Amino acid sequence: MECKTSRVYGKLPSRSQLFSTGRQAISCGVSETAIRVDALEKYFPPTRSGWRAFLQPFEKPTIAALAGISFEVRPGEAVALLGANGAGKSTLLRILATLLLPTRGFAQIAGHDAALDPRGVRRQLGYHAGSDLGFYARLTARANLEFFGRLNHLSNRTITERIARLGEQFRLKEALDRQVRTLSSGTIQRLSLARALLHQPPVLLLDEPTRSLDAIGAAEFRRFLKTDILAGGDTSLLFASHTLLEVELLADRILVMDAGRIVACDTLNILKRNTGASSLEDVFLRLTGRGSNFHDAESRE
Amino acid sequence: MMRTLSEMWAFFWRDLCIARTYRTVFVLEAIEALFGVAMFYYVARFVDSPQLQHALPQGGGYFAFSLVGFVFLDYLNAAMDTFDRSLEEARDSGTLEHLLVTQTSLPVILAGSAAYPFAVTTLRIAIYIGWGAALFGFPLHQANWIGVAAVLIATLLAFTGLGILSASYLLLFKRGNPAKWFLLGVSGVASGMLFPLSVLPDWLQLLARGNPVTYALEAMRAALLGGDGFAAVWKPLVVLLLFAAALLPASVTVFAWALRRTKSTGTLSHR
Repeated sequence: MECKTSRVYGKLPSRSQLFSTGRQAISCGVSETAIRVDALEKYFPPTRSGWRAFLQPFEKPTIAALAGISFEVRPGEAVALLGANGAGKSTLLRILATLLLPTRGFAQIAGHDAALDPRGVRRQLGYHAGSDLGFYARLTARANLEFFGRLNHLSNRTITERIARLGEQFRLKEALDRQVRTLSSGTIQRLSLARALLHQPPVLLLDEPTRSLDAIGAAEFRRFLKTDILAGGDTSLLFASHTLLEVELLADRILVMDAGRIVACDTLNILKRNTGASSLEDVFLRLTGRGSNFHDAESRE
Repeated sequence: MMRTLSEMWAFFWRDLCIARTYRTVFVLEAIEALFGVAMFYYVARFVDSPQLQHALPQGGGYFAFSLVGFVFLDYLNAAMDTFDRSLEEARDSGTLEHLLVTQTSLPVILAGSAAYPFAVTTLRIAIYIGWGAALFGFPLHQANWIGVAAVLIATLLAFTGLGILSASYLLLFKRGNPAKWFLLGVSGVASGMLFPLSVLPDWLQLLARGNPVTYALEAMRAALLGGDGFAAVWKPLVVLLLFAAALLPASVTVFAWALRRTKSTGTLSHR
């Protein structure tokens, strides 16, 4: 696995420059790709060009949520996004899920461009937003799953079979015939994960998948992901998490983000060796430049 | 085709299942319709005269004329509200983003979201007319039912375009519905809803001729009250279909652009 640091541009590059001359930040190059992100930038509000820039010359300056990141995820690989709040993890996942358009650069899933071929991308992915919203509160959990299953072109028989299986795997059997408004946050979170997996997508994008789960639920979910989803080698996983244990357990590689940039991208062992750290927490603090402040504060305490 | 129908059915079934959890709404709306019809009946008894009946296009009583106008206002209201309400509900419940990451296309999501509300509004119109016929002598014996069905479908197609345009505005600006305000406001005066167009000044009559509601009302009254077969229905029906042919693709294009814009600004789920 090769990771290289590329040139940093003085000003924002054009799309043609992005593909011919170099990339910002760090690129993790792999041959076959399930997910490919190349020089991806996202600004809020979006930067304007041409006549729009002329018409609104005094518009407020934009903030870079993603400042030209590049990486790839191989089929069957699990990659964790690790970063502080506001590092750009959710923005990246939302671009890959076709819910946001990038400002520059491109993001591909299984060869489909997220901006140009969103339907092609959506055929390949399961997305979990990490929130306990996103369901019809007055419908039962089963009716919700059936609805989203039909919109993902599953037959009634397949939907029934998979709901039964996922119901067992996610401890949802009791909850399936209850209205979603009567379920706890943790149960809705498990339901949301079941929805993301219902159509057995080859690429899974999970944004803080165990955020609302209790310790048992989170452990079971991690075990399920590891043994039932990832062990088969057919599903690629890109997930954002603040739970370091989860990252260590699931991720083949860890992508550390800070202020919209990738500051490192490698296996845990290599990251530890390169930073001279003894734990993932230490790796993260050192790579994001918070290590010394943090340890100073800790020693003062 | 079968896949699209299956997706549409999924939306319809979803909305039907949600509606079933509000058990008393249907009964209350049926009772409300009864009082609404009674109100028009007694207003008509108060204002009806041979001169007025002569001035009305189908020559019948004012009760039948105004009741058709009123229920069509309901239809227009539903068309303008359906997409907005679906969008707002999806945004508030957080389901909008999950709908947009499914494999279902945007036009089907839009059409599917409108299927149940339009069906319910059509049923509500039937209840209004039914109460009118059963209790207050609304003349159904001359109705051309095939014409009524054709007018309803053409009206639905024409008004759907307006509803989608209105939802595009909501997607971009998050609040308000100026198209609804404008169209309902204009239609109250310039469409022949509660009085014939002939009583309006020339410039308002001209405005009414640019309003699809005018043609929907003309066609529906001709089909429901006129009993003249397709002869009296086809002209306004063709105009309605022309409105639909122009508005539907334009509105879906505008909505897709608005959606792309919100994906660019990152405000898709903002309220």
